[in-house]
Amino acid sequence: MKRQALLLNLSALLFAICLLAIWQVLSDLHVISPVFFPPPTRALSELVSRLSDGTAYLSIQSTCLRMLFGWLCASFMGVVLGAAIGSSRVARDYLEPTLEFVRPLPASAIIPVAILFFGLTNQMSIAVIAFGAVWPVLLSSVYGFSSIQGRLQEVSAVLGLSRAEFLRKIAIPSATPDILSGVRVSLAISLILAVVTEMQASLPGIGRDIFMAQRSFRSADLYAGLILLGFIGFSINYALVAFEKRALRWRNPYS
Amino acid sequence: MRRLLRASVFPVLVILLWEITSRTGLLQFEYLSRPSDILLAGYSALRDGSILLATWQTFEAALFGLLLAVLVGILTGTMLGLSATTEKVVGPTIEALRPIPAVAFIPLSLLLFGFGLPMEGMVVAYACVWPILIATIGAVRGIEPRLLEVARALELPFAARLWKIILPAALSRINVGIRVAVGFALVVAVTVEIIVNPRGLGYSLILAQQSLRVDLMYAQLLWLCIVGYAINAALRTVKMAQPAIHVGGRL
Amino acid sequence: MSAGTARVIASKDGAAVAQTALEVRDVSLVFNTAEGKRPILDRISFDVFDGEILCLVGPSGCGKTTILRLLAGLLQPSGGEVLFEKSRVTGPSRERAIVFQDYTNALLPWRTVAGNVALSLEARHIPKDQHPGITAELLTKMGLQHAAQQYPNQLSGGMQQRVQIARCLAQQPKILLMDEPFGALDAMTRQALQDELLQLAAEQRMTVVFITHDLEEAIYLGDRVFVLASNPGRVVEKIDVDLPRPRSQLETREDRRFLAHRHHLFGLLQGH
Repeated sequence: MKRQALLLNLSALLFAICLLAIWQVLSDLHVISPVFFPPPTRALSELVSRLSDGTAYLSIQSTCLRMLFGWLCASFMGVVLGAAIGSSRVARDYLEPTLEFVRPLPASAIIPVAILFFGLTNQMSIAVIAFGAVWPVLLSSVYGFSSIQGRLQEVSAVLGLSRAEFLRKIAIPSATPDILSGVRVSLAISLILAVVTEMQASLPGIGRDIFMAQRSFRSADLYAGLILLGFIGFSINYALVAFEKRALRWRNPYS
Repeated sequence: MRRLLRASVFPVLVILLWEITSRTGLLQFEYLSRPSDILLAGYSALRDGSILLATWQTFEAALFGLLLAVLVGILTGTMLGLSATTEKVVGPTIEALRPIPAVAFIPLSLLLFGFGLPMEGMVVAYACVWPILIATIGAVRGIEPRLLEVARALELPFAARLWKIILPAALSRINVGIRVAVGFALVVAVTVEIIVNPRGLGYSLILAQQSLRVDLMYAQLLWLCIVGYAINAALRTVKMAQPAIHVGGRL
Repeated sequence: MSAGTARVIASKDGAAVAQTALEVRDVSLVFNTAEGKRPILDRISFDVFDGEILCLVGPSGCGKTTILRLLAGLLQPSGGEVLFEKSRVTGPSRERAIVFQDYTNALLPWRTVAGNVALSLEARHIPKDQHPGITAELLTKMGLQHAAQQYPNQLSGGMQQRVQIARCLAQQPKILLMDEPFGALDAMTRQALQDELLQLAAEQRMTVVFITHDLEEAIYLGDRVFVLASNPGRVVEKIDVDLPRPRSQLETREDRRFLAHRHHLFGLLQGH
């Protein structure tokens, strides 16, 4: 069984390498335009050189810092608001329809408004990121706090727990699985919006690098940036999933 | 009826407060228009058709991308779903591509296609293909083996099996993916328009902002909310009508 | 009082004076439904004596759970009142612990067994350093000492119910209200838990109100058994169970008196 798994993994790797090899050959032979589809080796070497001379780190740092800051603001607001709204049936009745109406608005549509208020600055970027990232957390928090097991509320009443104790000991742990899944989606959205706002406002970061590369037809740079973004996206998702698994260990104590 | 009343309390209050404080000069933000001005701007934009044209352009791109994504997603998804080995070999490559945000491809798309509809459609397609692909793989893999046995026992020809059993069985799950993709399509289209593409609702937003027609800008935002909400509502009605289609089919 | 004697009445001056833990006075409950008012309970009155095990039996829907929830304070009557230690019950309280039938929903899945029991200690504001000692004692009493660090979803139904009981005991309640606590368990586990309950009640001299639809369980456990009828819910018979304690699954259930009670109750329940 294990041998089969190993074989499949190797084949998967081989498949990816084959695809890249075909691309490389086609590009070198000019069957596909190397201007638009540079050989993978060039993209990779570009990436390596930018990493080794440090220029990539500045971009990575800018993008990541903005993404994380916006995400943290959004998560905090989302959980607090979500807890407040989710715990109160009245609040939900009055506010949920409005939330449902504003939700479909693409976060990037806020960019023009944000530019008016903040200019082409980091604050604009963070405001847009926060606006976009707050929805998944808010909505999943509202859900989490509004669906606390009724029996547990009775247990809390019998034990005489205060409102604060109920929140701390029962409501929040009960809502945590939902909150965490909302937070994970939020981070993905934060990355996307960080890149979008960089492109729009020419703020330092990977998004802008890719944009600049396109303007000067440096396609190898463009692909290098894409690889970098893919890597970041993959890592943050992986990290969050691992964190979630550990925090929600009680769900699968056997694994 | 009572639910509708309760739902409107909050927004109505906010709008009234906003209007009053703007008029009496209590709240003066240079970039915050009055609700009445916003409504007027919106009304005139509707009248002269500019907003409708822009909406149509955005829809065009979204549909282009969606159709492409549905085609590629369902075809590839079916292939991967039918063969577990293929999925294990091709899967990791797909997983490596997936985390790249679709918007990151805007410059590449621009490079390849220049400004206009195709460029935007391709980015939308990239964003939308993933939920459809994943849903299709799951759907095809998850077809109840019992159903396939029944089909074979009835000695139906392959085409009939595909049309009457495999597709309907997989369709509801694929639909879930398509619905997610529809949500993405609008958002991505508008995003591309805001950043680079001079067409559609996103572009009109930027134009309004740059020419400091602030009330028009807010009116367009409101319009976007309405459009998004209407699409979601439409999707929900389709979802509810679906079981009827399912059950209505006869062998 | 030794564990073997009848526990109901503490006679002070020759006359039978029973300390009442709970008094139910003319309690009615009416639900407002779409079709109008539905009477659930109709003028029920009874006393629960200190230190007794009172069993309520009746068919499904006769309002036994409703009565228990009224005793707990989770429900308020439409008419009449419930008195606990002479004062009116207006809401739930730590002193009236209630053991629910759906034990999984009543436990915190994100806490270990020990953590769940500790919840009651936290509610009582007992200093944290005392928790391990008290928890260990309670868990041992319920036979859970080896499961202390496990999560509820790793335990069998019987174990989970024991955890809930342990948590209720940690409240140091004056009354234990039990809502068909063993209904979802298999016969063997049920019998084991019945005996554990009897032992616990004897040791702590607890007042227990126990709801069940299993009349043999009611006779086996109870000092008194009330038979309830439905539509609307009301008490149709009150029986004193004169079987000796300690009770034994084998001997008590074969006792002539047990069988006589069983016969009698069976007839009553059939009729309603």
